Amino acid sequence: MNHRTALAALTAFAGMTLAGAAFAADPVCGAATGEAATGEPIIVGGIYGNAAPGDWTSSTDAAAAYFKCVNANGGIHGRPIDYRVENDQWNPENAAQAAAKLVSDTDSVAMVGNGSFIEMAVNAGTYKDEGIMVMASACAISECFESSNIVSTNQGPLPSNLGAAMYAREELGATNIACIGLNIPNNGIWSCQAVIDYMEANGGTGSMALLNPGAPDVNSALLEAVSSGADTILINQPAGLALAILKAAEEQDLRDAFNWIAPTPLYDLSVPDQLGEYWYGHVYVNAELAPLQVNGPDAQNWVAVMEAYGNADDPRDTFGQAGYLSARFFVDAMLGMDPADVGDRAKVADAIRGIKGMTSDLMCGPYYVGDADFHMPNHAGYMVKIVEGGFEIVRECYEYDSAYFEPMLAIEKELGLN
Amino acid sequence: MDRTRLFNWLVFAAAMAAICGWLAWGKPFKITGLFLTSGLAVGSLYALGGIGMVVLYRATGVLNLASGAAGAAGAMIAWQLETWGLWPPLGWLACILVALAITLAYGRFLAPRLAWRDTVVKAVATLGYALIILGLVAFIWIDDPRALKLPTDAVGIQVMGLRVTATRLIVLAAAIAIVVGIHAFLGRTRVGLQMRALANDRDLSALVGIPILKVETIAWGIAGVIAGFTGLMFADLIRLEPVVITFMVIPSVAAAIAGRLESLALVLIGGLSMGVIESMLTLSPMLKGARPIAPFVIAAVVLLWYQRGTRLTFGGKD
Repeated sequence: MNHRTALAALTAFAGMTLAGAAFAADPVCGAATGEAATGEPIIVGGIYGNAAPGDWTSSTDAAAAYFKCVNANGGIHGRPIDYRVENDQWNPENAAQAAAKLVSDTDSVAMVGNGSFIEMAVNAGTYKDEGIMVMASACAISECFESSNIVSTNQGPLPSNLGAAMYAREELGATNIACIGLNIPNNGIWSCQAVIDYMEANGGTGSMALLNPGAPDVNSALLEAVSSGADTILINQPAGLALAILKAAEEQDLRDAFNWIAPTPLYDLSVPDQLGEYWYGHVYVNAELAPLQVNGPDAQNWVAVMEAYGNADDPRDTFGQAGYLSARFFVDAMLGMDPADVGDRAKVADAIRGIKGMTSDLMCGPYYVGDADFHMPNHAGYMVKIVEGGFEIVRECYEYDSAYFEPMLAIEKELGLN
Repeated sequence: MDRTRLFNWLVFAAAMAAICGWLAWGKPFKITGLFLTSGLAVGSLYALGGIGMVVLYRATGVLNLASGAAGAAGAMIAWQLETWGLWPPLGWLACILVALAITLAYGRFLAPRLAWRDTVVKAVATLGYALIILGLVAFIWIDDPRALKLPTDAVGIQVMGLRVTATRLIVLAAAIAIVVGIHAFLGRTRVGLQMRALANDRDLSALVGIPILKVETIAWGIAGVIAGFTGLMFADLIRLEPVVITFMVIPSVAAAIAGRLESLALVLIGGLSMGVIESMLTLSPMLKGARPIAPFVIAAVVLLWYQRGTRLTFGGKD
C-alpha cells in the first residue's frame, strides 16, 4: 500500500470508526455474551505467506480480528482462542517448519484462515497424517481443493476462471478463449485446462499461453494468446502481472479486438485507477465473494469486526472476507460441540467435517465440508465490470456450470444442500 | 578495428539474425513483427543494463549487481511522486537522481573500502547492497498492483501494420546513442582517456598520477544515470515491480558477458539479440519453455566462441 493509499485508508477508517460509533451496530461474534472468556485457551493455528511476490496476510488478519471478538464475547464455551500464526515467506522449507511448529509440536485443534501459494502443497500430507482440519481462506493451487483435510472459503483460480469463461460465453459471445496462466502445474495449467475443457464441452475451443513468473517480459504471453485465434482473452494472473499484460495490450490497441475477462485477483480496488480510462467498461472480472457494494448484514459485521478488533492497516479485501468467514464458520461449529470436546483435535476435526448448510451474504451458496478427498464448497459468484472509480456488478450470484463440479454437486445432494 | 574483431562481430550478428529468422520462418509478419517489436524493447533494456555494467567495470573493476535495485527504487519514487500529483517530469527526473544517489553512495563510500579485494568479492558486495535497497523498497511500498505510464506510450507509428510506441523507439535509440556517446567520451575526452588507462592497468595508472577517486566517481555517476533511466523505462515497458526490476540485472549480466565486459557494441548486439530471441522463442511450441535461459545460453555460446584457441587458467590473465 502506498503512502497516499495508506493515508486515505486511515482517514476512511477513522471516518468509518466515528460513523460506526454513531450509527453501526456492534460486531456480533460467537456466543455474543459481552463477557471476556477466561478458561483454558484453545490453540488454533494459521499460516500465511508474506514476502515477494505478495502479501497474503489479509485472511489471517481477519481471522485474528474475529477470534479477538469471540474471546471478548464468551469465547468457545468460556474458553478463549489462542490464535497462533506463522509466515511461510513463500518458502517450502519455512512452510513445512510452520506446520511442524503449529501442528506437530502444538496441541492445536485446527488451522484457520491459511493463505498461501505453496504451504498447502507442502503440508497437505502432514495435515492428513496429523488428523487436523484446515479451514483455509486464500488458496490458489490444486492441492488446496483436492485434499481430504483442507477446505477453503475462497474459490481459487479454477472456479473463478470458469465463472468468467461462462459469463463470456453466455453474455459476450465467446467461442474461443485463450487463458494466460502462470507456468505452474498446480495453478496456471490446472486452472486454464479447466477453461479449455469447459469451452470444448460447450462447442467452443480454448488454449493456454503460459507465463514464467520469473520472466520479466509479459508481452510474449499476451502475443501468444493474441496469435492463437481467440476471441476472448482470460488473464489468469495476479493483479500486478495482469496490469502489465493489459498495458501491453493497450499499447497495441487490442481492446476492441477481444473480450477481456479475468478471475478474482483483478477484483482489487486499486486496479481501476491503475488501468486508466482506456479500459473502463471493457474488462470483466469474476468475484468469488460478494463485492463490497453488496454490503449485506454479514458483510457489515465483517467491517464492524475489523473496525473494533482489527488493525487499521489490515486489508479489507476478498481474502479478508474469506478469513472472516472461515473463522466464523469454525467458531459456529465449535459452539455446537459438547464443551468437554472442544480441546480434542480429532473431535474438532469431526465437527468441522460435519459442517453443512452454513450461510453468509458474503457467499453465494451454502458452506459445507463433508468427508471427502476434495472440498470446494464455494463455486458460485458474481461478475463485475471495471468502471471509473471501481467495479459495477453485471451479474448477480450465479452457479458455475462445469463437469468439474459434478463430484461436489453429488456431495451437496447427499447432504441435502441442492 | 582488426579483422578478427570485425569477423567476430559479423558472425555474432549473423548468427543471431539467423536464429530469429529460423524461429519466424513460415509465420505471418503481423505475428512475428509483434514479437520482434516486443523483444527489441526488452533487449534494449538488457543492453542498457549491460552497458552501465561494462562502463563501470572497465573503470573501477566492480561488476555492479545493484544497478537494477537502484533503478527500482528510482521508479518507485517516480510513481510515488506522480501518485501525489506532482508534475510527471519531476518524477522521471527524481527517478534518475535517486538511482544516481544510490549508486554514487556505494561508489563513493563503500566501494573504496573494497578496492583491493577480489573481483568476485566486490561483485558479491554489490549484490548485498542490492538486497538491502530491495528490502527498504519492499518495506516502504508493500506489494500492490501499480503501473507507471509515460506520455510517449500514447504516441506511436505504424510499421507494416504494427504499432510501435514512441517509448519503444526511445529506449532503442537511447541504447544505441549511449553506446555511441560513451565510445566518443572514452576516445575523445581526458576523463575517458583516464578511464581507459584504469581499465588497462589500475596500479600503473595510480603511479602516473591519475586521480582514481575522481575518475571512479564519474564512472559510478554514469552507471547511476543509466540505471535510473533503465529502471524508468523498464517500469513503463515491462512492469512496475521492484523485485522484477532489481533482478533485471541477471540478463543484463548475460549481455555484459556477451561483450566480454569490454566491447559496448557487442553488449548492445548481445542485449538486443537476447531480448528478440527470448521473445521469438514463444513461437516455437517445443522451445518456448526455454525462454528464461535464452540470454545465458547465448552468453555461454559467445564466450565459447571467443575462447576458441586459448587455454583456460584459474584466475590468470591469458
